[in-house]
Amino acid sequence: MTQTLTTTPPGRYRIRQVVRAETIKMLTLRSTAVMLGITVVATLAVTVLTSHAALHHTAQYYLGFDPTQQAIGAMVIAGLTGGVFGALLITGEYSSGTIRTTLAAAPRRPLLLAGKVVVTAVAATVFCVLLTLASFLLGEAVLAGGGAPHADLGSPGALRAVVLTGLFVALLALLSFGLGLLFRSTAAAIAAFVGIVFVLPLVMHGISDAGLRYVPTNLLTNSVMSTVNQGPGELVRPFPPAVALLLMALYAAVVVAAGAVRFVRRDA
Amino acid sequence: MHTGSGPPAGGYPHRKDTDQRYSPRPAGPVPCTGMITAHALTKRFGATTAVDDLTFEVRPGCVTGFLGPNGSGKSTTMRMIVGLDLPDAGSVLIDGKPFAELAWPLREVGALLDAKAFHPARTARNHLRWLAAVNDLPRRRVDEVLGQVGLEAVADRRAGKFSLGMGQRLGIAAALLGDPRVLLFDEPVNGLDPEGIRWVRTFLRELAAEGRTVFVSSHLINEMALTADRLVVIGRGRLIAETSVDEFVARGGGGAVRLLTPDGAPFASALTAAGGTVEDTDGALTVKGLTAPQIGDLAARDGLRIHGLTPVTATLEDAFMELTHDEVDFRSTTIGAAGASPKE
Repeated sequence: MTQTLTTTPPGRYRIRQVVRAETIKMLTLRSTAVMLGITVVATLAVTVLTSHAALHHTAQYYLGFDPTQQAIGAMVIAGLTGGVFGALLITGEYSSGTIRTTLAAAPRRPLLLAGKVVVTAVAATVFCVLLTLASFLLGEAVLAGGGAPHADLGSPGALRAVVLTGLFVALLALLSFGLGLLFRSTAAAIAAFVGIVFVLPLVMHGISDAGLRYVPTNLLTNSVMSTVNQGPGELVRPFPPAVALLLMALYAAVVVAAGAVRFVRRDA
Repeated sequence: MHTGSGPPAGGYPHRKDTDQRYSPRPAGPVPCTGMITAHALTKRFGATTAVDDLTFEVRPGCVTGFLGPNGSGKSTTMRMIVGLDLPDAGSVLIDGKPFAELAWPLREVGALLDAKAFHPARTARNHLRWLAAVNDLPRRRVDEVLGQVGLEAVADRRAGKFSLGMGQRLGIAAALLGDPRVLLFDEPVNGLDPEGIRWVRTFLRELAAEGRTVFVSSHLINEMALTADRLVVIGRGRLIAETSVDEFVARGGGGAVRLLTPDGAPFASALTAAGGTVEDTDGALTVKGLTAPQIGDLAARDGLRIHGLTPVTATLEDAFMELTHDEVDFRSTTIGAAGASPKE
C-alpha cells in the first residue's frame, strides 16, 4: 500500500465525531426521507381534513371550541411515525449488524450512546416543532377560510401549545428509541411503543379513569395541545401542560436509561 | 501449553507447497507496536464455556492464523478483542491497552468480523463515510480503500445488493480505512470464489509484509497452510498450540521417510536401533524420527540395499488431526464435523 496515514490527530475521538458520524448515518438512509415524507404528508392531510370537518356547524358546536387543538391534533399521527423512526434508528443497527462496525469504531459505549441520543433528540425536536407549526398554520388557515373560530400564534396559549406539542412528539420518538435499545428488535420495539401509546389508553379507560390521565396520549391531547380550560364537569382533570411535558420527559428518560444500562453492559 | 518461540532472524522458512512467498519485513525501522496479548481469557454463555482460559499473543510482521473447528471459540475471541463481547475472566489487550481505551480505534485496529456488518440500504461509499467521520479520517481515505478493494465501480450502489464476495470486500475496505497497525479478519474467505480467496490471501500477506499485525481466523486448515506464518490453534475454547506453521507440522508427526528395500527385516531392526520408528505399509517402510540422509548412511554402514527413499512431508491437516486427536471428547464430535464438511 502506498497511501498511509502519517498524522494522527491529537487527543481521542469524542462526542463531536460520534455526532457527525450518526448524522451522516441518519441522512444517508432513504428510509429517513421516506418516513419523514410520509409523516409530513399524512399529518398535514389529516390537519386539512379535520379542520375542514370543523367548518359550518351551529353555534352550539363552537361552545368551548379549541381552534389550536383542532389544528394540531393531527400530530398524533407524527407521534406514531416518529415512534417507528426512533426505534429504527437503533434496531436497524442491530438487524443489519452495523452496530458491530459502529462499536469497533467507537467502543466507548456511554459516549457512543450519548452521541446517538443527541442526534435523535435534535433531529426529532426540530422536525416535530416545525411540523406542528406547519400543521397549526395550515389548520388555522382552513378554519379562517371557512369562517369558523380560529387562532393565530398570538392567541392565548397557542404558541405554547405548538412548541410543547412539538417537544412532546419528539419525546415520543425518544421513548421509542429507548425501547429499541431495550429490545434490539424492530418488531418488539414498535409493538411495545404502540402498546404504550395507543393501546394503553383504551385498556386504562375501562380500569381507572384516574390512571388514564398519566397515559402519554392523554397528556398530549388533553394537556399539551389544549388551550381551553376543561369545564368542572370533566371526570379526569388533565395536568397543566408543563407538568404533562415533564411527565413525558420522565417516561422517555426512564426507558432510555434502562436501554442504556443494557447497551453498556451486555454483549453487542 | 505455550509452545511458541520467536521468529527466526530472516523470517520464517517457507513450505515447499506454497507459491505465495512471505517476504521478510522491509529494511528500516519498523515500529514495534501492534501486539495483541490475550491472558487467561474466558467467556461463558450459560453452561457452555466458549473460550476457556486462553492465553496467546499475536505479533506484528506476520500472518497469524487462528485455527480451530467451527464452534471452537474463534469468533467469540475475536469479538472480545474489539470489546463486542465482554470476557468473564482474563483480558485481551492491544499494545497493553484494552480496545475501548484506544484513542482512535480505527487508526489502530481494523476488524472484519462479519461479512454483512453494514446497513443494506446505505451505499458502500456512505457506509465508509460515516465510519471515517467517527475517527476524523480524511474523506480521501474512503476513495483510497474503495480502490484498494476494487469497489470503485459499485461504490454508489446499495450495499444490500452486493454479493457475499463484494460484501467481504466492503468489510475489508472498512477494516483498512484507518490504515491500522493491527488487522483482524474472521473467516475472510467464506463465500469467496477461488479468485477472491487468492486475492485475500495475497492481500493478507502484503499487509503483514508491511509490518502490520494480521490475525486471521479460519476453520479451513489448508487455506491457513497457504496464508499463515504462525498459528494459534484452539479446540473447544482451549489453546492447543501456539507456534509457527512449520513447527506445528513437525510436532504433529512431522516428516516421515518412505523406504523401499528388499532387506526389510534387518533394515527395520537397524533403524529401530538408531532411534527411528518403523511401520510396514504396503511392502514399504515408513520411517519416522530419522532423516533420509541418516537412513542412507545407515544403509552404507550395514550394507543394506535401498531401492527407493522418499521424504514424505506431513501437511498441516495431518498435524491438526494428530494434535487434536488427544483432546478429550474432541475427535468424536467436533473434528469429524469440521474435517468432513469444509464448506461450512
